[in-house]
Parts: sequence; structure tokens; C-alpha cells
Amino acid sequence: MNPLLYALDVLVFIGIFGIVSLSLNLEYGFAGLANFGKVAFFLTGAYSYAALSQIGLPFYLCLICGAMISAIFGWLISLPALRLRADYLAIVALAFGEILRLIVKAERGIAGGVWGITVAPIFPYTGSELIYRLENIGLVSICLFICFLIAQLLSNSPYGRAIRAIREDEIAAEALGKDRAKYKAQIFMLASAMAGLAGGLYAQYLQFIDPYMFMPMITFTVWIMVILGGPANNWGALLGAALVELFERGTNIAKDYLALPVDPGNLQYIMFGVLIIFVLLYRPQGILKESHVKTKALELAGYGRSTAEDKRG
Amino acid sequence: MEEVLLKIREVSKHFGGVYAVNGVSLDVRQGGIWGLVGPNGSGKTTLFNTILGLYRPDRGDVYFNGDCITNLAPHQIYGLGLVNAFQLPRLFYQMTVLDNMLVAARGHQGDRLLNSLFFRKRWQEQEKELIEQSMNILELVELDRQVFSLAGELSGGQRKLLEVARGLMAKPKLLLLDEPAAGINPVLGEKIFMTLKNLCCNGTTFFVVEHRLEILFEFASWVYVMDKGSLIAQGYPQEIIDNPTFYEAYLGEG
Repeated sequence: MNPLLYALDVLVFIGIFGIVSLSLNLEYGFAGLANFGKVAFFLTGAYSYAALSQIGLPFYLCLICGAMISAIFGWLISLPALRLRADYLAIVALAFGEILRLIVKAERGIAGGVWGITVAPIFPYTGSELIYRLENIGLVSICLFICFLIAQLLSNSPYGRAIRAIREDEIAAEALGKDRAKYKAQIFMLASAMAGLAGGLYAQYLQFIDPYMFMPMITFTVWIMVILGGPANNWGALLGAALVELFERGTNIAKDYLALPVDPGNLQYIMFGVLIIFVLLYRPQGILKESHVKTKALELAGYGRSTAEDKRG
Repeated sequence: MEEVLLKIREVSKHFGGVYAVNGVSLDVRQGGIWGLVGPNGSGKTTLFNTILGLYRPDRGDVYFNGDCITNLAPHQIYGLGLVNAFQLPRLFYQMTVLDNMLVAARGHQGDRLLNSLFFRKRWQEQEKELIEQSMNILELVELDRQVFSLAGELSGGQRKLLEVARGLMAKPKLLLLDEPAAGINPVLGEKIFMTLKNLCCNGTTFFVVEHRLEILFEFASWVYVMDKGSLIAQGYPQEIIDNPTFYEAYLGEG
């Protein structure tokens, strides 16, 4: 395969998973919501895109509606999130993702069931693979930029302060007037919309989706991105997405040149596991540390300038 | 006579077979520092948590400013002006001291999703004022040198101070304080109560659980005594000191 095309393909994937990683970072990094069903919202976006593009909606509407449908599912998952502790929420979300996937797989009426469905690409194929990928990189970059901007604005505002407070101690936050039900629902909806948008981009880029493309492993991969890059840091989420994607592609290539005594596919999962353990042991805060709330007013008050002084004093 | 701010009527709360609070009725009127004392395990903190909506009482009702708040969620109770400082500080430890203060600020426009995304100018000015207020309060509790440190880096006593400061930041009509002077050096403890006394002039009322009786009795205008989940005495501090029931509860019978 042409190395340039391959590199461009990697970039598209980094962009798409960067969006998903940003969205999980909003949920887990900032608001402390352990969403282990991330793939469900990715799937919702992808299938919504497929279904809507079939009835002939223009692509931007397909993307937006897909994001909105995912947001509705995100609101659904926020309902148990109000009553469950983080670990139980993780189980519920994980099951939610699998149930959704199995429904899609079992029902032929929904986008071809187990056989999958072809999706019309946004950019019609003009004979040049290079142009196709460049066009996609452009589109994905725009979406990624918008999502990143939203995540940055949110996290550097009093709103970001409130969701961090809910992450730290939701009882205390609630007693200080933060309606945790509202905040959790908003974060789940917003983050699910982002994941749904990424799902739509993914579906149209690959031009085909089937239920096996939405295994729970996607959720775990995105979790590794966030944990590795640094939870509660949007740059970290992007960095994590890039590193994990490169690691995955790198090992995929490497296995062709190595004679391994074990199944390389499984070995890759094992290496992911080892990577997580190392990160949690030696750098639990991730590569980039949590970025604290920054607002103009805080900067005027001297935040960022006097931290070093405070440490000494 | 001043208005009744907090009215508790026949409130009971039990855990399994133990009645932590058993049929307590009391009033807190506008103004001043109101004390609640009693031996460990007498149900003071449970009563506070019930007032705040963290526990639902098995029986009885709580009224604040005329509204029944028994079944309200804690954030709604905060909205009415009833705020609390926890006995064991529940700070946001991965956040800076200043951010901890700002979370408590009342009616911050930037707390809303859309304002934080699209109308950032709307709350920047407000945030500036709130930071100034925070700084003033932090200065009062001598935390002004740690403004940008993480709350998790503070010592035990400082955490306690920040918990109290955060409660003050919320500009409550009534602030429940659970042992504000515990674990704090005597001079600063005295200073905290002086501060509370001064704030009373601005219309804030305090309802305080405290084991440091010498400080509490110096500042409180009225004291309730609880034992084994029930209210056993009430009166002016001087009356309580002279009350034999009070000694029995604290020092044991005989």
C-alpha cells in the first residue's frame, strides 16, 4: 500500500477517535462519569447517519441529526447515572452498549442486521484515493476543531468548575447548589452528541458499517486514549488519541515482519493492558496533567503567575 | 421577637433499630449564633444532615423561612439560602482553594451551559467580583497565601477553615456549622467566632454544633442541648451552664 495514503488514513482515524476521546474526557475527566458504553453512542451516530443518508438527507443534516439522536440516548443513560455509583454506572453503560449492538445485529430491518449496510460517502469517489482522503481529513478536522473548542470553553468556565466539583464530591456540590441531575444529563447529552458525530464521520468514511465494527473494544481503546493522555485535559485527550492510534497501527505493521509464537491480534490486546497498568502505576495523572479552570478573571487575579510563589510560601 | 428562620417539628430519623434523632422540635430565629451541643453520638450531625436534605426524616417536618423543605433536594435548599459546612471537610481536593470558593458562589451566570459556551462576557465581570469576595473571606481565615494551591495540599486545620470559608462564600441566610473550631488553634478558633459575630450584623444567622464549649458559650445567643437523639435542655448560655441536666448528659450520671 502507498505509505502516503496509509498515513492520511491514520490521520482521519486520529481525528475521528480524537473527537470520541474528547467526549469521553468531558464525561470521565471533567465530570467523573465512567461511561463504559461509549461505543453505543458512536454506533448510534453511525447507524443514524447510514439510515438518514439513505432517505436522501444532505450530509450535514445527517451528521447533525445523528449527533442529536445520540444525545437522546445519552440522556437515557444519564437517568441511571443519577442513582448509581461510578462502578455500577460503568457496568450499566457497558451492558447498554452491547444490548444496542446486539439489537442492531439481530434486526435485519435496522440497516441490514448482521450483514451490515453500505453508506454513501460525503465526498463522491472521483478516481483519486488521495483526494478522497484529503477531503475527509478536511471535514474531520473541522468537526474536531469545533468539538475541541466546545470542550475548551466548557472546561475553562464556571460550568467546568461545577462539573469538576461534582466529580470530586457530588454530595458537597449538591449542597452548594449544583443540581447534579441537570449537570450529568447535560454532559452525557453533549458528549454523546460528539461521539455520534464521530460515528457519522466514521460510517461515511468507511462507506460500510456492520455490528462487528462496534465491539466493546472500541470503548476500551478510547478509555486508554483518555487515561494515557491525561484525564481532565483536552490536549491530553487528543494526544492520547494520536498515540493509541499510532500504537495500534504500528503494531499492526510490525506483526507482518515478526514471527510470533502467539496470535498477534491477542498480543496487541495484552500490550494495551500492560500499557494501562504502567500508566496507572507510574503516571496515574496521564501524560498531561489536569488543566485547571482558567478564566480571564482568574488570570487577572494572578492565577498562573503566582503558583510558584505559593508553593514556596 | 425576630422571625423564625428554621423550624423543626417532631423530626425523627433512625438507622436500623437506633433512633439517631427522636422527635426533635426546635426553632432558630433570625440573627445571632445559635448553639447545639451534646455528647458524641447524640444525633447533632444527623439532625443537620436531615435539615439539609441529605437524609429524609422518618417523621416530622423541617421549615425554612416559612417553606416546608422536608422533601426538597439539597441544591434547592441551598437555593433558599440554607447552607452548611460539613464536620469532616468535603472539599474538592483536586481543585484550587479559590475554585473551591467560587463553586459555592450564589447565582453565578457562568454556571449555565449556554453562558459558558456563547456568552462568556456576561459572567466575566461577575467572576471578577466573586474572586474579590473570595479573597476577602480567605484573608479572614488566613488562607490568602494558599489561594492557588490545591485544596488537597492543605493541612487538616486549613481544610476545616476552607470548609467554613466556602460556607460563608455562599452568602447564606442561615449557615449550619458543624464544629467549625475543631482541630483549629484556639486563637484562630476564637477569631472565627468573632468573624461570625460580625457577620450577624449583615443578617446572617448561624446554627453551630461545637464541642469547644468555652468559645461557643461566649458567643452564642441561645443554646440547645441534645442527648441520645432528644432535646433535653435549651436556654441562654448562662442558664445552660447552671443546668444540672446538661452536666449529667456531658459527664455521665452520678
